[in-house]
This record gives sequence, structure tokens and C-alpha cells, in this order.
Amino acid sequence: MADEAQLRALLLKGLAGDEAAHRAFLTETGAMLRAYFRNRLRGAPEDAEDLVQETLVALHSRRDSYDPNYPLTAWLYAIARYRLIDHVRRAKHRAHASLDGVDVGETDPQFEASDARRDVLTLLEKLPSKQRTAIRLVKLEEKSVREAATQTGRSESDIKVSIHRGLKALVRLMSEAGAS
Amino acid sequence: MKTDDLIAALARESGSEYRRNWARDLSLTLLAGLAVAALLVLIGLHVRADIGVALTPVLLKAAFSAAAAAALLPLVARLMRPGRPLGWRVTAAALLLCLCGLAALVALAGEAPGQRMQAWTGGGFPWCLVMIPLLAAPCAALLVWLMRAFAPTRLTLTGASVGALSGAVGAMAYSMHCPVDSIAFVGTWYALAIAICAAIGALLGAKLLRW
Repeated sequence: MADEAQLRALLLKGLAGDEAAHRAFLTETGAMLRAYFRNRLRGAPEDAEDLVQETLVALHSRRDSYDPNYPLTAWLYAIARYRLIDHVRRAKHRAHASLDGVDVGETDPQFEASDARRDVLTLLEKLPSKQRTAIRLVKLEEKSVREAATQTGRSESDIKVSIHRGLKALVRLMSEAGAS
Repeated sequence: MKTDDLIAALARESGSEYRRNWARDLSLTLLAGLAVAALLVLIGLHVRADIGVALTPVLLKAAFSAAAAAALLPLVARLMRPGRPLGWRVTAAALLLCLCGLAALVALAGEAPGQRMQAWTGGGFPWCLVMIPLLAAPCAALLVWLMRAFAPTRLTLTGASVGALSGAVGAMAYSMHCPVDSIAFVGTWYALAIAICAAIGALLGAKLLRW
């Protein structure tokens, strides 16, 4: 890895318009920055690489903010540290982003219930009429088994069996509908 | 984007010499800030009516403010470009504050006891506490804009020194209007007004100077 004097010479040549020197400066600096950010952001190598790039852009676009009378590494790490602090602040801000005052809309319970009702009614159409009638009377219209039996002229146990079989079939139909 | 590609793209941009003249940019910005503040005094506050006879005290107050600006300028210039020790530049700014307080005390001690309150407050509310920060605002905005183009890394300190420097520039303009000439008044309230500008700058620095 290049030392202070070499890096400084590369940057100064780059400032004077030497493209190859500037490329070498950025490459060497990139490696130093990678080590710096990886050390400080353990477990977040993608963030570290993002910061390497951000810092390289900052160093490049503000490269004349380097004062040649002072150590280059002091300048370089002052900017790297600044980018790191900025990154941590932004991350904190993101983590605490509040939804207060943000209108995300309300879930409509009536809509959801009517949706579910429509689904059940659709599936109910697929059952044999005996089961369908029993379920509609007892489960949807909330009549007693006895009332359902008198209304349909069937026995109470017949109604119960129909409900039991019908519900089983409904569950099967629903899981098929969910899978498709 | 891969970092290597980024480096290649950045290197391609570096084909010609790149050096901004930060000293010229800073002086031009301060001059523009002073011009705007002076214009605001001329339009909004009017120059004091007795400017003909009071030219000397007005110039003295302007010179005091200019000296304050001169004491703060090295700190601002230093903070524009990172990685350099601040050294005596902070001391200079602190010394300015001490000298103002000292001058005010000495001047007050020299007044007759019955006159002291009058000399200290100028016989009313010291409006410079409000006016100097207001006049400093355009200069501060210009300075923030300039600083962001360079690379300040200590934002709170940069905000405070930019605020104080703008306050001194605002004070230069305000001295054309200010009707009170006593040293105790200027040493206390001008200095406090500049300190208020510094405090506002410190509070807003981290937000406004981010780059």
C-alpha cells in the first residue's frame, strides 16, 4: 500500500491534470478506505463499499480542498470520518422513520367481511344441494337444527350430517382455491 | 456500480488542472454579504440622521466590527478545507470576546456612576441584538453556500464561526444606523449580537452545511 508521500505526489499530479496519477491515487485510496470502513462497519460490508464509493466521489470532486502544507492522510481521513458520521446519522434516521402523520389508508373491515362472504357463497354453490341448504339455514341464517329440519322436512340427524360433510367439503374447496 | 468502474469514471474527469481560488471566493462572498446588509440598512432602517457630525463614531464602530470579522476570518478559512489544525485561530476568536468585555468594563468604570446605565444600555432596549442577526442572515446564507462547495467536516464549529463572521459583517452595516456610540454599549451588545449569531450558526450548522 502506498505511503503518505507517494499518495500526496499522486494527488498533486492529479490536481495538475495527470489522469493516470489521479487514477492511481483513487485506487490506492480506495483500498485504504475499504479497510477503514470495514473496520468500523463490521457485519455490513455492502454499506462499507457504498461508503468507499461515496468518499471517493467526495475526495475527487473536492480534491482541491486539500492544503498541500498539511498531511494528506489527515485530509483524507477527515473526509472519510465525515462520510461515516453522515452515514450513521442517515441510518439512524431511517431506522426511526415514523409513520405518524403519514396517511397509509385504513383497512376496511366491512369490505374484508363482505369479501369473505362472497368467497364462501361462491364455494357453497359447488356443494350438493342437500349440504348447501343445511349449511345456509344453520350457519348463515343462524337457525337451529330443529328449525332447519322442520323447514326442509328432513330429520335433525340428516341436517347435522349434511352440515358436517358440507363443512368438510368447503374446507377442501377453500384450500384448493387458496392453492390455485 | 463497481468501485473500479467508478474510479475509472472519476479519473476520466481529471484531464485538466483543477484548483478553485478559495481566498478570492471567500472575499467576494463576504463583500457581497456586506453589500446586501448595507443595502438593507439603507432601505429598511435608514442611515442615522446626524451622520454628518457623527461620522467618526460611525467609522469607529464599523472599524470595531471589521476587526471582529478579521479575528474570525482565519477560523472560517481554516474550516473550509479539512485536515488542518485550528491552532491560534480559536484563540483569536475567544480573545475577541474577552477584549470586548474588558473594553466595556473599563469604559463603564470611567463613567460617572449616574451615567453608567445610560452608557451601557444606550437608554432603551439594545436593538442591535435583533438587527445585527437579521442583517447577518444574507451573508450567512452566502457563506453556507460557499462552504458547502468546499469540504467542512466539523459542521457545528463551522456553523458557529460562519454565524459569528456574518454577525461581524452585519454589525459593520448596522453601525451606519446605530445611534449609540459609547464603548461600553458597543463592547457589550455588538459582541453579544455576534455571539447570538454564532449560537444560531452552531444550532443550524449540522443541518445547513451537510454535503
